Amino acid sequence: MQIQVKCNCGEQNCPEWAIVELQGVIEPQPAFQDRLQHLEIGQLCRPSSQTYTFTVGYHELTGSKVPLKKPLLVLKKIRHADDEKVELEVIGIIRQRILFKTRPKALISRPQPVVKERVSAPGSLVPS
Amino acid sequence: MEMVAEQPKSACRGAEAVLNLQPTSSVSIAYHSLFGPHDDLILLELDEKLLPDVLHHRVTLRGQPDEDAVLCTMSKTYAVKFVGTSNSVLLIPPSEQLVLCGNTQDCDEKDRVEKLVAPVIKVAPGVMELVEVAPRIDRLKMLLSENPYRFDDALMSEELDEMEKNNTRLYSWSDLNDRVQASNDELRSGLQALSAVEIDGYWRIVDENYMDGILNMLLHNLVLNDWSLNGLNETEVIGVLQSDGFPCEIAQHCLQVYGSKTDDGVWKLDEKQVCVHFARAILRGGKMRMDNFMVEWMRKIPEGMQASYDMLEGEVLTDKIGIETWVYAFDVSSLPSAPAERFSMLFRERPKWEWNDLQPYIRDLSVPGLSSEGLLLKYTRRTQPTPDAEPVFSAR
Repeated sequence: MQIQVKCNCGEQNCPEWAIVELQGVIEPQPAFQDRLQHLEIGQLCRPSSQTYTFTVGYHELTGSKVPLKKPLLVLKKIRHADDEKVELEVIGIIRQRILFKTRPKALISRPQPVVKERVSAPGSLVPS
Repeated sequence: MEMVAEQPKSACRGAEAVLNLQPTSSVSIAYHSLFGPHDDLILLELDEKLLPDVLHHRVTLRGQPDEDAVLCTMSKTYAVKFVGTSNSVLLIPPSEQLVLCGNTQDCDEKDRVEKLVAPVIKVAPGVMELVEVAPRIDRLKMLLSENPYRFDDALMSEELDEMEKNNTRLYSWSDLNDRVQASNDELRSGLQALSAVEIDGYWRIVDENYMDGILNMLLHNLVLNDWSLNGLNETEVIGVLQSDGFPCEIAQHCLQVYGSKTDDGVWKLDEKQVCVHFARAILRGGKMRMDNFMVEWMRKIPEGMQASYDMLEGEVLTDKIGIETWVYAFDVSSLPSAPAERFSMLFRERPKWEWNDLQPYIRDLSVPGLSSEGLLLKYTRRTQPTPDAEPVFSAR
């Protein structure tokens, strides 16, 4: 069986996707599980040229834009209905990510968040 | 804190808002209207230098449904491994991602308001990574051995109809691509190493007895027609072999296996190939005493050729039984190509090997990233009885 890897982008034109990466799990409140569309997760800010902050619920994360050692291709698996052939199409490329790997800072004076971030490391603040 | 940068023109905001975020600006990260698991979206880590091959459609994934897939460029094979992450990797597509949005009208109406939004389409569980591997070429020999080309094939080829061909497990180049996890170049090398030949669009290995027959016919005619060993006329040779009943492709194949082209249409017989052929033919009957074998061998070799025992490196092994030395066929090309299996078979044959004996049976092994010393270190135990004795290799 062979799966052809196709690309309709053209040599220099692969659309660039973005990645925001953080340690931990993003959790919307149970009430919102069914209507996630357009729901804001958080605010990504760039206070200076080197630093980025990502505020999710009560947590503020600090990070930076990091180039990837090796680019990532975004592939879409396409199954043709008529002839059952499977193809992989390159629909994008990722060369850098906004990476957050510090412990979150707790922002105490905020209202109840709809979406919050749960840090997987023990001993962190997770307001209920 | 929320100072808005200049707005992009498109209706759907996206990756650009994140990638081009200016200092002192911010962007809202939100769930995409089509947020979901999207198992059909895969992230593949790729070396920069492989990028042109992918973008120019020179890369395929190969493998049967029950196998681990490999990714093949024109010349190399890579295992594809999924590496998971415990991080949350938020994947944000660029704004004009029609493949996802369907059409721009599906995209969020809200984005037309003055706010930058980067929608997350998926949280990626991990990434596919590539590891260069040796091609899984043993499958090729197995497939082609199902149906070696024999004397009766030559007679039948005109009568064999389409349906019969489908039933008799014959493999074309594209059939082999589907079934063998190797790049095109590696597949071609594999076919060459097997002395395979393409007949009627199918790749075949030719049965040993058949090759014996055609080589003997060629040598017989060489003597009869007073041809030169080093100056065989291609057209003449093929013509004579054809009139003796051999198909043109097989006659051509005979020249390619046992000879080398010296000029346009001119071939010379390869001494080593011919001598090795006869040694193999003699030992097909089983073990022989060394002196008997040498006598037989010298008898069979064509006039004008010289045989020497070192031609049989990687083809035969010797056994000392009492004071006598016996010789038997042990062909490196019949051994598995994967190192673990190869060493296992070698140590099954003989628990201890000296370097000179071992070397011809492992020099064709190639594992990306592992040198021959590395291979020995990994798969053998090296002992040296005394400082000036030959090192001996045994299983780990």
